[in-house]
Amino acid sequence: MLKSRLALIVLPLSVLLVLAQSVLWIPTYDTLGARNPARLQSFVETSIGDARLLNPVFVADTASARIADLVFDGLLRVDDQLQLQGALATRWTVLERAYVVLADGADAKIAAQVLQRHISEQEPSLLSAPIVIHPPLSTQQSFDIARGNGPVSVKIAFPQRLELPLSRVAPNLTQLIAGAGMPGLSVEVRRERIDAGEIALSDEQVNQLLPNVEHNPEIIFWLREDARFHDRHPFDADDVVFTYQMIMDAANRSPHRASFEPVKTVTSVSKHVLRVVYKRLFSPAVNIWKIGILPEHLLNAAALSREASTAKLTAAAHRAFGLRESKFNRHPIGTGSFQFRHWSSDELIHLTRNDSYHDGAPQLRDYYFRIIPDTLTQEVEFRSGAADTYQAEPHQAARYRSDERYRAFSAILPGYTYIGYNQRKAPFNDVRVRTALGMAIDVNAIIRYALFDEGERITGPFASITQWYDPGVPELAFDRAAAIALLHEAGWAPDADGWMRKDGKVLEFNLITNNGNLRRKAIATIVQQAWRRIGVKCNVQLFEWAVFLKDFINSGQFDAVVLGWRLDLEPDLYQLWHSSQTGPNELNFVGFDDAHSDRLIEQLRREYDDDEQVRIAHELHHRIALLQPYTFLFAPRSTRLLNRRIVMRDDRGEYEPVRAGGAGDLFYHMNRWQHLAHDPGS
Amino acid sequence: MNQLIQRGLQTLGSRIALLVLVSVLAHAVVHLAPGEPSEVDPGNPRMKPQDIALIRAAFHLDEPLYVQYIYWMRDLFNGELRSFKDGQPVLGKIADRFANSLPLFACATVLIWTLSFPTGIHAALRRGSLIDRSGTVLAYAMISVPGFVFAYLLILLSVNVFDLPVIGMRTFGLNDSTPWQQLMDRLWHLTLPAVMSALVGIAVLSRYVRAQMVDVIHQDYVRTAHAKGLPRAVVLYRHALRNALLPTITMFGLLLPNLIGGSVIFEQIFAWPGIGRLGYEAVLARDYPVILTLNLFAAVLTIAGTSLADLLYMLADPRMRRS
Repeated sequence: MLKSRLALIVLPLSVLLVLAQSVLWIPTYDTLGARNPARLQSFVETSIGDARLLNPVFVADTASARIADLVFDGLLRVDDQLQLQGALATRWTVLERAYVVLADGADAKIAAQVLQRHISEQEPSLLSAPIVIHPPLSTQQSFDIARGNGPVSVKIAFPQRLELPLSRVAPNLTQLIAGAGMPGLSVEVRRERIDAGEIALSDEQVNQLLPNVEHNPEIIFWLREDARFHDRHPFDADDVVFTYQMIMDAANRSPHRASFEPVKTVTSVSKHVLRVVYKRLFSPAVNIWKIGILPEHLLNAAALSREASTAKLTAAAHRAFGLRESKFNRHPIGTGSFQFRHWSSDELIHLTRNDSYHDGAPQLRDYYFRIIPDTLTQEVEFRSGAADTYQAEPHQAARYRSDERYRAFSAILPGYTYIGYNQRKAPFNDVRVRTALGMAIDVNAIIRYALFDEGERITGPFASITQWYDPGVPELAFDRAAAIALLHEAGWAPDADGWMRKDGKVLEFNLITNNGNLRRKAIATIVQQAWRRIGVKCNVQLFEWAVFLKDFINSGQFDAVVLGWRLDLEPDLYQLWHSSQTGPNELNFVGFDDAHSDRLIEQLRREYDDDEQVRIAHELHHRIALLQPYTFLFAPRSTRLLNRRIVMRDDRGEYEPVRAGGAGDLFYHMNRWQHLAHDPGS
Repeated sequence: MNQLIQRGLQTLGSRIALLVLVSVLAHAVVHLAPGEPSEVDPGNPRMKPQDIALIRAAFHLDEPLYVQYIYWMRDLFNGELRSFKDGQPVLGKIADRFANSLPLFACATVLIWTLSFPTGIHAALRRGSLIDRSGTVLAYAMISVPGFVFAYLLILLSVNVFDLPVIGMRTFGLNDSTPWQQLMDRLWHLTLPAVMSALVGIAVLSRYVRAQMVDVIHQDYVRTAHAKGLPRAVVLYRHALRNALLPTITMFGLLLPNLIGGSVIFEQIFAWPGIGRLGYEAVLARDYPVILTLNLFAAVLTIAGTSLADLLYMLADPRMRRS
């Protein structure tokens, strides 16, 4: 008995003793940090979540994207002015091949001659080669015409066609051809030429399947000849073709497949020249070539089948083995400036510099991506020097910005928070009501009190850091009297209790947002108070995200909503604002429907000329700001802190403070970073 | 003997049936929760309905629930069940995390089950004394103040005052060290989270032991034992404690499932890549294969724990053996 009683005391004490003595062997942060030469060769970043699959074809989350960006290169990248720049491509040019259909009886030779002469007179440099005549041709193609039901196989009997090789993309080609004033240049009877089985085609679909003028934009990429994968295998055009095939292979379930849908073919012209042909005019599709390029020699069918046979799998699993199952996704090999070393799940990912990187090896030897799921612990690690960067919370940003010990980088993010109104319903179908509601809100106060000034006002649908955003569009004034006047004009008048009424009904609705986002909750509360002061009754409701989407947003069963968008740097607004995108599960869930805006959105997609794109985008911005389908609130600011000892080295070997790239990308110049032993001073 | 084996087999059969029932229920409940796996709804607006349909088909989400259940069971027993999130084999993932969590669990368990008894008994014997009352206050503080508060305070203390790394399973950047140093490093990183989870456990269990002990020492047979003139230690530890211990056996049986999810909060705060965090993150991403398999393991552990408790009861209490 005594012995077991003793055990109850001795056992825990010895356990505690063993644990406690370990502290004697532990180095302090100080010895691990400044006095550790290995630490001065490395950069340490922290992340809340672990990466999933380190393969650009599958990347859909921020953590995986961060690592994939360092390990892989795309053909293109965005420079510090947010313009496209060559990465694995040294240069590229955008051309077009257009196909013009001819009526059955028309003499193709004469038509070609007339057209050739006409175009040469009007736009002398447009035709890059003589027009080619194609005889009638029957094809079977698969098209995504039945919305949501997958691609459908369609038989098209093409009439004879003229192929026009053009030196640039010409969205105005139809008008140009119409000016030639010759018969037989368009086919009136086209519906009969298309066999879509059971499906009844709309005029628009007929137009899409067999247009009078089919635009096939083409990009020719000239690729780097000195780029090599981390296993020393040289990179060439076949790797790009392979990457494209992997994305489009349905079995791989790549989340990027839809972005590559406008691409018709990708072919290698020579070892280092690549031709990409698009199905139609779609200017945003140039950007897809930022995607990282896979090494074909490690992942082709032969390599995968070798890998499958070495793994012990059941017959079914062996058959299903594909790119998704490959070990490559946890041990990636790319052409990037850093190469993969080690991944310890939910702990860290270690990369080392690619000494033979074609664009000059990075200065830092090691890159660590530490997974620390708790932001407070992340901050502790940053402050004690075990991490080099930390994303400050909005309420900490001001304090850290004035803290001498760290360098702070603030950047407005591409995106915004807004109040959206369901325009299928009264009273939100009246622009005066929407404008009045917007004018009643003091947006500056929201930015000051709910965001701790970590945001900037915006007036329209584009990312405010891009050229598409027109800074000339005036902000909606905060003016209660004007708001009330607008409501009067729309037929609303205050009752005895001060609530706005029309036809006996009080102006009352529900404002909803997702639970768990404190910032949106605060905005909803402020807005509720602001509207009460102009006699508008608003009830705020919060819902769990999945319920919020399913029961309210996707089903269109809501009045008004506080939400935010994260935007791309491209100007394409089709999914968010086009009137065709208002169905269930589509993104124009507020039901914005404006023919003028639709036209501008479509025009923007078809335009390849940068200046013209900017002009159209600005016009669209004006138009949407005028109609106030949303009350645009603010674009959020992010503040990232950096260890002061991280500096940039220029070509002459001199140090300068780290500069961020476009869109506040802190890591833009990372290859030139160095980790100094001492604080360089300011 | 034959009878015993027969009874053992019966129990085993009924427990397996229970396990199947639990797995079916869990499978249904997980699919009832709103939201979809993050792979199906990755927030990528460019994805088309047919791409999403493709993913759903690959995960068998388009099949009826009972078919999905069969697929899950088939893949689980083939060892080819893969996580939706990163395509890794689920069993391998769980095994890795299990290995990470085990030392944490073992350390905390040893501390809880050794320290709770002396403190509980001590408090019961000196009921109402200053020690007992301050112990009560401390225990309730530990139980009612959320664990993360103390964890944060400890982290800040260790980092700011002693400049010692405490985050994670090992010190980051300790690359060229001897195996001995690495072992000590692992031990040190174990210390704080293990002690933190132990403290909460001790608070709960010692209150339990105290209550049992207080109950028992006022029983007639204890008074009789005292009256017989037995030494105090014999009365307390042989007559009283043994009876007081019986109910704690049940608690011991419930201990095993704590291996999964017992220290989610501490694993989260200390960035410990353990099994609790695996489960938590799987729930957030609606990673059904991982959630369901972890849940099944938890059920197996619970049933194993209660079976163990039954056995211990039989050993400890002669009345159970006879019935």
